[in-house]
Amino acid sequence: MRAIPTLKISISGVRGVVGESLTPSLLARFSQAFGTYAGFGRIVVGRDTRTSGEMVRQAVVSGLLSSGCRIIDLGICPTPTVQFTVRRLAAQGGIAITASHNPPEWNALKFVGDDGLFLDGNHARELLDIYHQGDYTKVPGSAMRPVEMMPQAADEHVRKIVQMLGPLPAGTRRLRVAIDADNGAGSMMAPRLLEALGAEVFGIHVTPDGRFPRPAEPLPENLGELCQAVRDHGADVGFAQDMDADRLAVVTEQGEPVGEERTLLLATQFVLGRTPGPVVGNLATTHGLEAVASRFGCRVYRSPVGEANVAKAMQRHHAVIGGEGNGGVIYPPINFARDSMVGMALILHLLAQTGRTVSQLVEELPPFFMVKKQISFPSHRIGEMLSRLRREYAAFPTDLRDGVKVILPEGWFIVRGSNTEPVVRIVAEASSEAAAADLSAALLNKLQPSRE
Amino acid sequence: MKPLKIGISGVRGIVGETFTPELAVSFAQAFATYLDSGRILICRDTRPSGPMVAAAVAAGLLASGCEVIDLGVCPTPSLQLAVTWLNAQGGIAITAGHNAAPWNALKFIRADGLYLNATQATELLDIYHQHEFEKTPWDLIRPMTERGDAVDHHLAILMSSFDVAAIRKRGLRVAVDCCNGAASALAPRWIAEVGSQVLTINDDVNAAFPHDPEPRADTMAQVRAVVKAGDAAIGFVLDADGERLGLVDEAGRILPEEYTLAIAAAIRLSRRSGPIVTNVSTSSMVDRIGANCNVTVIRTPVGLPYVSEAVLEHHAVLGGEGNGSIILPEIHAVPDSMAAIGLFMEHMALTGSPLSVLAAQLPRLSMVKSTIPIEPNLIYSTLQNFRDRVQDEGGPAVDLSDGVRLDWPDGWVHVRVSNTESIIRVIAEAEQESRAHELVDWARERLHG
Repeated sequence: MRAIPTLKISISGVRGVVGESLTPSLLARFSQAFGTYAGFGRIVVGRDTRTSGEMVRQAVVSGLLSSGCRIIDLGICPTPTVQFTVRRLAAQGGIAITASHNPPEWNALKFVGDDGLFLDGNHARELLDIYHQGDYTKVPGSAMRPVEMMPQAADEHVRKIVQMLGPLPAGTRRLRVAIDADNGAGSMMAPRLLEALGAEVFGIHVTPDGRFPRPAEPLPENLGELCQAVRDHGADVGFAQDMDADRLAVVTEQGEPVGEERTLLLATQFVLGRTPGPVVGNLATTHGLEAVASRFGCRVYRSPVGEANVAKAMQRHHAVIGGEGNGGVIYPPINFARDSMVGMALILHLLAQTGRTVSQLVEELPPFFMVKKQISFPSHRIGEMLSRLRREYAAFPTDLRDGVKVILPEGWFIVRGSNTEPVVRIVAEASSEAAAADLSAALLNKLQPSRE
Repeated sequence: MKPLKIGISGVRGIVGETFTPELAVSFAQAFATYLDSGRILICRDTRPSGPMVAAAVAAGLLASGCEVIDLGVCPTPSLQLAVTWLNAQGGIAITAGHNAAPWNALKFIRADGLYLNATQATELLDIYHQHEFEKTPWDLIRPMTERGDAVDHHLAILMSSFDVAAIRKRGLRVAVDCCNGAASALAPRWIAEVGSQVLTINDDVNAAFPHDPEPRADTMAQVRAVVKAGDAAIGFVLDADGERLGLVDEAGRILPEEYTLAIAAAIRLSRRSGPIVTNVSTSSMVDRIGANCNVTVIRTPVGLPYVSEAVLEHHAVLGGEGNGSIILPEIHAVPDSMAAIGLFMEHMALTGSPLSVLAAQLPRLSMVKSTIPIEPNLIYSTLQNFRDRVQDEGGPAVDLSDGVRLDWPDGWVHVRVSNTESIIRVIAEAEQESRAHELVDWARERLHG
């Protein structure tokens, strides 16, 4: 069996390499399938800054028009703005054109339902069935409506954030913020939001040309220039986004990345201080979340990994805050989406309210150390490997909703197989670096025999 | 019968049925592959399916590495002029021309502004069928830009190609029906620019076609009323993309479509001498007019690419087809209703003679046209049977350059497969109308038998 490494059609949408498998025909067909699935109505479309974005957009527009949708085109905008606008306009759905944190040769369609959430597994499967059946709604030209351009959608989003959270309090020192948008969809909107909140902004990589000045994932090792900018400008905080501005990473005033897992913790700390209530994280998100929540007497619910799963769980539990450990903050009063703009506003408010530095705040968070690994693994053996793990750790509390998660006295780990690639993902967390390393090493040893 | 036709006139079909986004994407990719990418212009007429098709075409071109310049809603001849002006590699006009609103089509234009000829169209089709298109990696994808000045450029060329001072001096009153088509932004402006008083109807590019965009007696009733009520010297009706032109004279008489080329020929030959090019199905009026002036009339198979190439090859002074397409080679070798409008206005200004006089001087011939819808799977064998049959009967001389044309001393009949629809066309012409009908019936009998 040979995997096609450049195209992934799954319940997470359609993702592929431009110039290879992500062809305009495929994109037009998928958009027809989505138009057929959504059933006429208004569909919001937005894209990140990738160089292939215009090509993909044109294919999407043709497919949606052909299936009778009315298109509201936001142009270049963050993915959370697409989701926000779907809800604001009570639209039928949306398509975000972005491969998020993937390298520049990739692009993707992410499908948003009428609730502003990404399609969950069941809905995505229905869409895939329609795509594969190939029998799409086709309307005559007389039923087609002109594309409505809505470049001001990001401004509405900014306005909503400022309205809900308020500008930074007057009378305190004006916060200095360095922002690295990686020339992505946040390039224009993030500085606008920060200024609207009353911060002083130092932007790097805020030219929205899709030319990836650094790898798109806002991992500590990719943020060297932002850290330098923080030090050069004496900024209070540095923020880094990925290409479609759903994920957020934080850099301290000393120019040190705090690690993506802590983005959600900082945001949670602020939100629970104002409005205590349930919190949702995914099964692989740091247990620091429970520690923060317990300070406010709040409970944490866990969901399978993936924005759609987290958002659904948040709705079910009436969560006041939630998100994922990769820097995805979801704050329901504004948006049921991972939204780096909302994350920035929450964290700036925390800084202003407490008067503490980012390093002090991080210092006060519960200590945890996490090891994340992705290892290649034959897809057809993943199920067997997971049941074996489950048997071996039968004596410990486990959670089987997404792979196998085991809670041990010294920490916890989760092992998940990928839907789309022959790999498994491992996350292990403990309260010391050595313990986390031991945990993950022991786990890798157990997996090794099944890999061959 | 599925309404989709792929051939020398491009790709044509009904949107919502066979003309899908995927079809348009694939043909755009095939075209880009054929031209080795480069700069490609696109434009569209005002059909409501235009934005859908334009988006599909743009996606295909961009994915294949083209630099796309979108001229938006714009007449096809304006795009054809812009292709050479902007040094483009080619263009795609998104228009089904004279077809009714549910249709749309892609028309492929090469670097010299002409349509792909039959050989080139076949090569393009081969690439389409092979379905292996040029694909461009992310860092080589080129930009897409919009520009709205193609009609300005077209207008500037028109202004320098006619005796504008004479037209302005005459101060004509002109009625024009743009059919809410792509020429809405150009034809009335052009007429007004030369000092004529223009009575415009149906120039709203956001509105539906008020009638089929084909200049025919029934579609020209509105402009006829305007000519009469407004006391205009002439009335023009355009198709959706500015290629075909219908005429109404100052008395409000709707002239048959074949008159447009015949009158243009008479005007042309009154001022200069040289060959005229038209297709084998066009009225013999041009032959008689040509004979009076001792010029040759060259006949090509039906289809604009044939006519355009022959115009260049024979250094013709005029080209066109009987459907109201007029080519003035000094402007460009493709049909251009705006150029044709200039020719008529200039002639009326210089001579003061009304259109009805020109029409009255045309040779008296009667043309009868008939169409036979036939399933696509039977259409060519039907034509072949007809050909065998008339050749076996040993009748008059047979011309096989496009379908089957038979010439008698007192008339002719031409039987051919449409380039755009699944029909067989039967056209006959004779001095007596009854004889023309007789010839059509003669052919139809042999087609059905």
